Amino acid sequence: MKKWFSRYSQQIFLFAVMMLICIVLTVQSKYFLTWKNIRNILEANSYRLILAIGMTFVIASGVMDLSAGAMVSMCGVIMAVGLHAGLPAGAAVVLGIGTGMAMGAINGVLIHYTGINFFILTLAASGMLRGISLMITDGKPITRFGQDFIFLGIGRIGEMQLSVIFAALLVMLSIPLMFHMKWGNYVQALGGNKDALEKSGIHVGGLRISVHMFLGVMAAVTAVIITARLNSAEPNAGMNMELDAITAAVMGGTAISGGRASIGGTVLAVLILGVIRNGLTLMSVSSDYQQWITGFLLLLSVLISEIRVRKTGTLMK
Amino acid sequence: MKKKVLAILLAVSCMGMMMTGCASGEEEKEPETQEEVKEDAKEEDEETEAESSGVDKVLADIEKQMNDALGELPESGKGERIGILISSTANEFWGTMKTRYEEAGKELGIEVEVFEAAAEDDSAGQLDALQTMIPMDFDAIIVSPIDGTNLIPGIVAANDAGIPVINLGPGVDTDALKDAGGHLDGKITVNFEEQGSTVANDMISRMKDGGEVAILSGLEGAGQSVGRTNGAKAVFEETDGIELVAAQACDWDTEKAYEATKDILTAHPELKGIFACNDNMALAAVRALQEMENKDVMVYGVDYTSDAKTAIEEGTMMGSMTYSSTIYTKAAEEMAMLLAQGKTFDAPVYLPLTLVNQDNIADFDGWR
Amino acid sequence: MTAPIVEMKQVKKRFGYIEALRGADFTAYPGEVTAIVGDNGSGKSTLIKILSGGLKPDGGEIRIKDKAFSSLTVRQAMEQGITTVYQDLALDNCKDCAGNIFLGREIMKHRFFLDHKLMRQKTRELLNRLQIFIPDITQPVEKMSGGQRQALSIARAVYAGGDIMIFDEPTSAMGLKETSRIMRLFLELKKEGKTIILISHNLFQVFDIADRISVIHNGLLVDSFLTKDSSPQKLHEMIVEKEEGMTDEEMV
Repeated sequence: MKKWFSRYSQQIFLFAVMMLICIVLTVQSKYFLTWKNIRNILEANSYRLILAIGMTFVIASGVMDLSAGAMVSMCGVIMAVGLHAGLPAGAAVVLGIGTGMAMGAINGVLIHYTGINFFILTLAASGMLRGISLMITDGKPITRFGQDFIFLGIGRIGEMQLSVIFAALLVMLSIPLMFHMKWGNYVQALGGNKDALEKSGIHVGGLRISVHMFLGVMAAVTAVIITARLNSAEPNAGMNMELDAITAAVMGGTAISGGRASIGGTVLAVLILGVIRNGLTLMSVSSDYQQWITGFLLLLSVLISEIRVRKTGTLMK
Repeated sequence: MKKKVLAILLAVSCMGMMMTGCASGEEEKEPETQEEVKEDAKEEDEETEAESSGVDKVLADIEKQMNDALGELPESGKGERIGILISSTANEFWGTMKTRYEEAGKELGIEVEVFEAAAEDDSAGQLDALQTMIPMDFDAIIVSPIDGTNLIPGIVAANDAGIPVINLGPGVDTDALKDAGGHLDGKITVNFEEQGSTVANDMISRMKDGGEVAILSGLEGAGQSVGRTNGAKAVFEETDGIELVAAQACDWDTEKAYEATKDILTAHPELKGIFACNDNMALAAVRALQEMENKDVMVYGVDYTSDAKTAIEEGTMMGSMTYSSTIYTKAAEEMAMLLAQGKTFDAPVYLPLTLVNQDNIADFDGWR
Repeated sequence: MTAPIVEMKQVKKRFGYIEALRGADFTAYPGEVTAIVGDNGSGKSTLIKILSGGLKPDGGEIRIKDKAFSSLTVRQAMEQGITTVYQDLALDNCKDCAGNIFLGREIMKHRFFLDHKLMRQKTRELLNRLQIFIPDITQPVEKMSGGQRQALSIARAVYAGGDIMIFDEPTSAMGLKETSRIMRLFLELKKEGKTIILISHNLFQVFDIADRISVIHNGLLVDSFLTKDSSPQKLHEMIVEKEEGMTDEEMV
């Protein structure tokens, strides 16, 4: 019990924070604890969660991808071009996912084979991808798609929006993928000790590329939801979204240098940030506070994990 | 390990700053706000007494026009709750609009709540905000979308919830909205073409013998730029003796406007007038003209920014288009009240526009 | 005399301007403990890295159990029955004992899923067999002592089941008690019929357990003899002489 508590202290902290925020908001606003509002929170954060899950895998593997937001816009723009050229919705989605995979693969190849710092590489990729989006669109959004594509962003099955169902499915898939299957195990080992993994006879390059392709697919799914929901593919879409995803993953307890991941923590962190955003909107408080609170929470949760590590006397060399 | 975390966090935050830096100032959204109005009420009163034909008279005239456009006035406020969604107060224009909305709400005796997105280009965040507003039992909602389509799912949801929606300023793509099964209950906006044609007419009236003119457009495809350019073009083209020698897209970019002005003037040294689609570009044109020691070209802009005001007073700019944000916001709220009280609007309501030029600028002290 | 199980001939490796191996030979016989000694920078680590796979030599030949290779990947080396305990241990500090022992050779259930329970059980059995005591095997390796980690690294090599085991400085970071425990483990392994290749600085330790000693100097094999024909003092003198000899040469 004690062990469990110490292992999940960061997630427990997040859960407590979320409960606290929810209680405060329920007292402050009569609209907060209503089914419609909760549904709104889930819908508004579905795509953020999907990208954050992808980023969780990448961070677990020991790197970060600063081009994730640009990939979202790029995938959206490519899909929009395809749709306007007459592709059916399904084919456009496949095209978008293919684009995401290809861009992820390029990132993975560059990171593995050049050995240049991932920060620089993905920052460069981010600039180039956004540049390409701007060039394709001429800086203007591409708007108006068919109803069957739009359905992917705002369609509902029963009470639940499709995007929320996608996000839930992806979370349920990624938990076994990360913790109960070889691939996730290797992804974490890649961040934990790349050398050890290599010496165990695993082809590290292929693994690195596949993680980035996974994030590419997640970026593409994010792009589908955003583009369909806004009925518009914008070269500026997904701006700073990679930072939100990194924030959520790290806040959730995924080690920033890799090796250890928490999918549940990422889900909690995305929900906390979403609830805060929603609460500030409900009380029509300026969104400037959002940034401050996000930064503060990130700091606090990382501090908690650091204190935990120190207390149990790790860090032996 | 700890060092690494710190370094990365630092770097991430720096990057965050860099990116926000890039995000702002990419696209001109709407006219910049007018002169700051921070004088004391007292001062204003004194002014009114001293100059009864001053700004208050202008405002009163405009309000009368506005009321005519609205058709009728709402019954006095019964505490209606109006939700207002703007793009982001990160843009000074919308910051002023938010203040004006709140002032007008107080004056009308209604409850006003203003919502916004995190940034001017956060179109998804703006939709989230609208979705959040819908269960909040507002009597009407006023929206100014970041782009033509981003708010559509939220507007449809408002329609379903029976909340009237008014579109102020930047337009919702009505065809796409119709496809999605939604509608707007009212629209209040600035007629961009009228901004262009008003400037063009004023310019022509100062050119007894006709002559050559040029237009500096904004971002190609942007609604404001297209409307203003077309409005001016139409007037220039149907007037005898006026020759439009250039209409160049400068993407709201002052550097481009500066270069374009030099190029046009080199090719057409007899040029008489330049209409720039916003004041920033107009001021760039003024700079280019000063450098070429040309004092004969009249320069017009749009937005009536504080810099433009100074330029008009100094005589380097001829005029700038503006409108009253006080009346704009008040009219939108009156429209919302009328909708809440059961009235319907079939056609868009256009805001009365005003040209400030070297002749009438004295009347615009304290413009709001 | 039996045929060698590992034979490396004229192996060359250059890192930029540094010629780490200049045509070194090395031989190990089945069931024997062969020690490789030599001063820092003599090239012995490079030699071992080539044999355990991953480092590609510039020239020469490697024969393992009568199969010839010009270079080996980690996988190929493993397939030939070579398992290596690296000096840096090559452990993933974020994973627990089972996660490290089974890294790259996981036990699966229903084809796609890791059988955490079974792997943990097998880990317990293995550690018991090797008399390695780790109180909580579910905690991450980063929380374990240096000796525990070293033992775990050896346990992993044992589990891998190769018949040729390479140990790179296995006791360099260990206390006396832990060292003697590891030494006992070596003798166990030797009894099981494994061929052991050991790199060590500790000449007394080498004489304790090695059957054969190869001396590497300056990228070349300079001598190879049976332990019983020599003594630590002799060996020490040999290494130091070589060093001084070279210094003289350089001075000239």
